[in-house]
Amino acid sequence: MRATNMKKTIFQTHLLLAAMVAVTLLFTVSANAAAPGIKGTTFNLVAAPAYLNQPDGQAVYSWGYGCAANFNPTFAPALSRSGFCNVMQVPGPTLIVTEGTPVVVTLTNSLPPSAGNTSILFPGVTLSAFTDGTPGLLTQEAAPGATVTYRFTAPSPGTRAYYSGTQGDLQVEMGLYGALIVLPATASVPSNCTATGTLGAKNLAAEAAHGEADYRLSQSAYDHPDTCYDREYLFQFSEMDPRIHTRAEAQVTATAGCVVGAAGCSLNVPTEPYHPAYFLINGRSMPDDMDPNYATEYPHQPYNGDPHMHPGELTLIRVIGQGRWQHPFHEHGNHVRILGRDGNLILSSSTSTLSYEGVPATPLAGPLQFTTTTTPGLAFDGIFYWTAKGLNWDAYGHNPTSGDPLATLACTPDANGYNTGDPTAINYYEWCADHFKPVEKVPFGDVAGGGPATLPDANLFTNGAWYGGSPYLGPDATVRATGCSTGQQANGPGLQCGQSGSTPPSGTIANSPSSEAGFAFMWHSHNEREITTNNIFPGGMLMMMLVDSREYVIDETN
Amino acid sequence: MRNTCRYWLPIFLLGFATVTVSAQSFRVQCPTTTITHPVATNLEPAYTGPGVNGAIKCQQISGGDGYSTMGDGTQTYMFSFGPLSGLADIAAGKPGTQFPNIFNTTFAGFQPGDPATTDLAGTTPIPVLPSQLTFGYNGAVGLALDVANTVNIYDIAPLGLNPGDSVLIAHTGAGVFPAPGPYDGTQTVLAANVTTFPSGITNFGFPASNNFTFTIGTTGLPDVNVSSTATASTPRALDGHVDPRQIMDVGVMNGNIPAPLMAIDEDDEFFLTLTNVGMIMRPDLFEQHTVHFHGYPNASSFYDGVPDASVAINIGASFTYYYLAPDAGTYFWHCHITPPEHLQMGMVGQLYVRPRQNRVPTGTDLGTALKAQQGDNRTKCDSTADILCSNPMPASANTNTGATGVAQIAGGMYAYNDGDGSTRYDVEYPIQIHGFDPNFHFVGMTFNPEGFSDMKDKYFLLNGRSYPDTVTPGPLYTMSSDGSNHFSQPLSAIINIPAGKRALLRISDLDVTEYQTLASLGIPMQVVGFNAKLLRDQAGNNMYYTTNSITLAGGESLDVILDATGYTAGQVFYLYTPNLDHLSNDAENFGGLMTEVRIN
Repeated sequence: MRATNMKKTIFQTHLLLAAMVAVTLLFTVSANAAAPGIKGTTFNLVAAPAYLNQPDGQAVYSWGYGCAANFNPTFAPALSRSGFCNVMQVPGPTLIVTEGTPVVVTLTNSLPPSAGNTSILFPGVTLSAFTDGTPGLLTQEAAPGATVTYRFTAPSPGTRAYYSGTQGDLQVEMGLYGALIVLPATASVPSNCTATGTLGAKNLAAEAAHGEADYRLSQSAYDHPDTCYDREYLFQFSEMDPRIHTRAEAQVTATAGCVVGAAGCSLNVPTEPYHPAYFLINGRSMPDDMDPNYATEYPHQPYNGDPHMHPGELTLIRVIGQGRWQHPFHEHGNHVRILGRDGNLILSSSTSTLSYEGVPATPLAGPLQFTTTTTPGLAFDGIFYWTAKGLNWDAYGHNPTSGDPLATLACTPDANGYNTGDPTAINYYEWCADHFKPVEKVPFGDVAGGGPATLPDANLFTNGAWYGGSPYLGPDATVRATGCSTGQQANGPGLQCGQSGSTPPSGTIANSPSSEAGFAFMWHSHNEREITTNNIFPGGMLMMMLVDSREYVIDETN
Repeated sequence: MRNTCRYWLPIFLLGFATVTVSAQSFRVQCPTTTITHPVATNLEPAYTGPGVNGAIKCQQISGGDGYSTMGDGTQTYMFSFGPLSGLADIAAGKPGTQFPNIFNTTFAGFQPGDPATTDLAGTTPIPVLPSQLTFGYNGAVGLALDVANTVNIYDIAPLGLNPGDSVLIAHTGAGVFPAPGPYDGTQTVLAANVTTFPSGITNFGFPASNNFTFTIGTTGLPDVNVSSTATASTPRALDGHVDPRQIMDVGVMNGNIPAPLMAIDEDDEFFLTLTNVGMIMRPDLFEQHTVHFHGYPNASSFYDGVPDASVAINIGASFTYYYLAPDAGTYFWHCHITPPEHLQMGMVGQLYVRPRQNRVPTGTDLGTALKAQQGDNRTKCDSTADILCSNPMPASANTNTGATGVAQIAGGMYAYNDGDGSTRYDVEYPIQIHGFDPNFHFVGMTFNPEGFSDMKDKYFLLNGRSYPDTVTPGPLYTMSSDGSNHFSQPLSAIINIPAGKRALLRISDLDVTEYQTLASLGIPMQVVGFNAKLLRDQAGNNMYYTTNSITLAGGESLDVILDATGYTAGQVFYLYTPNLDHLSNDAENFGGLMTEVRIN
């Protein structure tokens, strides 16, 4: 590519990206995430080849686990968009099981004959004796066209990885990996996670008040009262070197129809030196990862990465490093409390107990991190939340002198300073110490002035696709800041709606100021070259997390 | 690219158009008082109990480009931030963060390229040593007395004058505008909106419609009625207006690696003004820049610096970020525009927040003081109610009083609000790990296409320097393409520890390609904090660990204490990377990620 072309390409990519985002939004108002998978005790899987779509237009030949044709899985959580489990998907089907229950996973090898055997490793799981398959180096394998069965009792709760145990340098690179989520047994869910009156129950009430469904797989991540959660998302990080895939495809094509075991019916694909160019979250590159779960455009990449949450909601993130590199996954917005790794809760060595919402338990000891390294084969669970605590200005843009009732909502602090008394309030979980505190010196729209900061003229800056249209959270606040809302104009006759020089321009693409106006935070690999797709920025391991005001309905179906 | 130009030109022109109306493109913000700090103070108050105290702190930085010098002598082009306040402090390796009384000052003696131009002028031979630094100005670059709000004296109502205010009267002379006259000068308003004048006071010849009176230093002047050209204005003041010439003289090609150091205290309000001076070597790029405060808990999306999620300031203008200081810890900051490009190119800097515990009065039990912090929802840490707080009362604390038996010592400094004094240190060193890929920097300077996936660092940097530059005292300078020397790498990486004392290393990593390991060949490293959080479990047990190496990814930070107890002056140890291929400066096979720990 010539020198002058590159920037143009990047620029065009930006345009293309914007267009893609816009098109996506035409079909779906929002595309949220959940932790979708298939739930049960028996899983009939198959390993097969297919092509993965990438946002640069490439279709990359890959291998993945999928559901056998005669297997009708139960999809969880219940989403109104139909789940599907094709014979090949990357990551493989997320297997959702319950602690202590017997699980049977059968794997049929439908890879090309020259690919040889394949298998699944379940690290940390004790397998029963094998009754079929072929002995392999690390585990029992399925020969081409044959089947192997893995039987185990679901171990302790938490998120775990599964992946190929056969020629892993090639097979994992090609896409043979997935997630195993073990849920606490119903009887083991701590009582505070289910009890009325606890914050979790109030959050449920808040969701119900605004017409939201509950998309959780469980109510707690572990059998521990401080692992209650309100939302959950699963992110699997991996990378692809397209040269390996291209060579594998060429060799598979050249050996098509060969007889297993015959001379030459094998692959010899170099997997070093390794130069990945695609960096994936749940098998997709940005911006595809923010398209819906089970979007028909991605028949072999059903899972997305598009986290949304409301202020104060405890959000469980289940993260797995697949592939072969570590990636520093940076969560903008707050820290993450690591609960456990590979299904093992990290607890204090202290013999004392703490009382979490009235339930005593050994204190947690996992670290707090703003960058959570993903490591190959390692899964971790963490809790994240976001509130406006400590900003020193009212993130909702409340204005005590406004005539708009939504601008003058009350904020009554609970024992921790949050407005949690009325779960139906739009400003449920507002940080009350900053209630009515203006940020801007100059009042504009229907937002009070008198604060410490002054924005430059709106013509002096550029706003982004996920900019909510104002510094404030929620469509009401943004409309009041940038336009006119009913009964406002309390700032005086000199101000015109939406015309104040201090009002940032609105009308952004992906985070509509009038319907969503969330606070967007980038969650991405901090090895920044990995937020590219085959050398094009933006792309790769990047997604936008949105903190949405309560009146915006988060529909994780999409 | 042509499309971009077409798109931007009108907006750019519009930006200039606004200058004359109300807004100014370049400007700085540093209020002396706010709602939170209603009384102007220019010191950190003692922490004696719940509530916000702290102070107002301000800093200004430029976003643009510059050059730095690698360990093998190569000049490397950077997209970079440079200091536009605290110039003398930055040159001396200190934070450029200032109290308002230092920030809000003016300086007339700038030479282009300062402070290096002034500091290097008297030094032979160069390099400049810390003792040779003579440039002393630490205020904001560019601050200028505002263009007065001037009105015709016949209609002074827009000035909103009140008795006691000063008013600047001009052009009261007879004749042709702008003739100076006898009443010209700064006068004190005696009364405003008056219809009758006090006995003995006249309005000195201005028509009664002026409705104001003022004192005048001279007497016996005749009433003049020639004031059709006379003007009244409010006195010129420092209100954030800047003289762009100073900004450009100092800010252009003044990039630093690492970017200017920032340090604030808990409860401070921090006003950080980013002034985008443009990238001189890349006139084809109309790049915005931003500041991402990496790791701030409960960050505001608006001030988070992610251009996709917020706003980004264009060339020729300034944007002021506002935060109430978050919890104490070692954070860092960087530009978030096209991160694989702007971070690799050098737009990375250091930032830390000092704990309230530093401000606890001498003699007060640190545990008791931490207990006092539990009385404020903003500063408390209740492990049973907040899963994301990291400094609960130490397990050793008295359950009633909080006392741990560790009293504040005079000048005691701590990494965190530990309550037990366990993170106390005597000297602190911010250390930032970074890597430069010379190929990427070359194509970044020469308008060539930039490949991301095969980015490969060849220079491995501690505070922007490779060994042996890491142990050069004082600022490193680099001649830029404007022909003048600039301080490109102000921060030495020498770690001086007085024997028997404790050093806090605030280590952050902003490499964008790979993980880096740093090992201590001597004093063991006690890790007390990670990702700007105290390492303490929810039961209050310190989870510190001792090691001789730490590994960080880009986007991580960690706090290490080196305890020189038992060591003697004159000992030298090395802090170096066991990633042995990182002990190189491009083709030179010895250098890279290494510095010295000197006991003195």
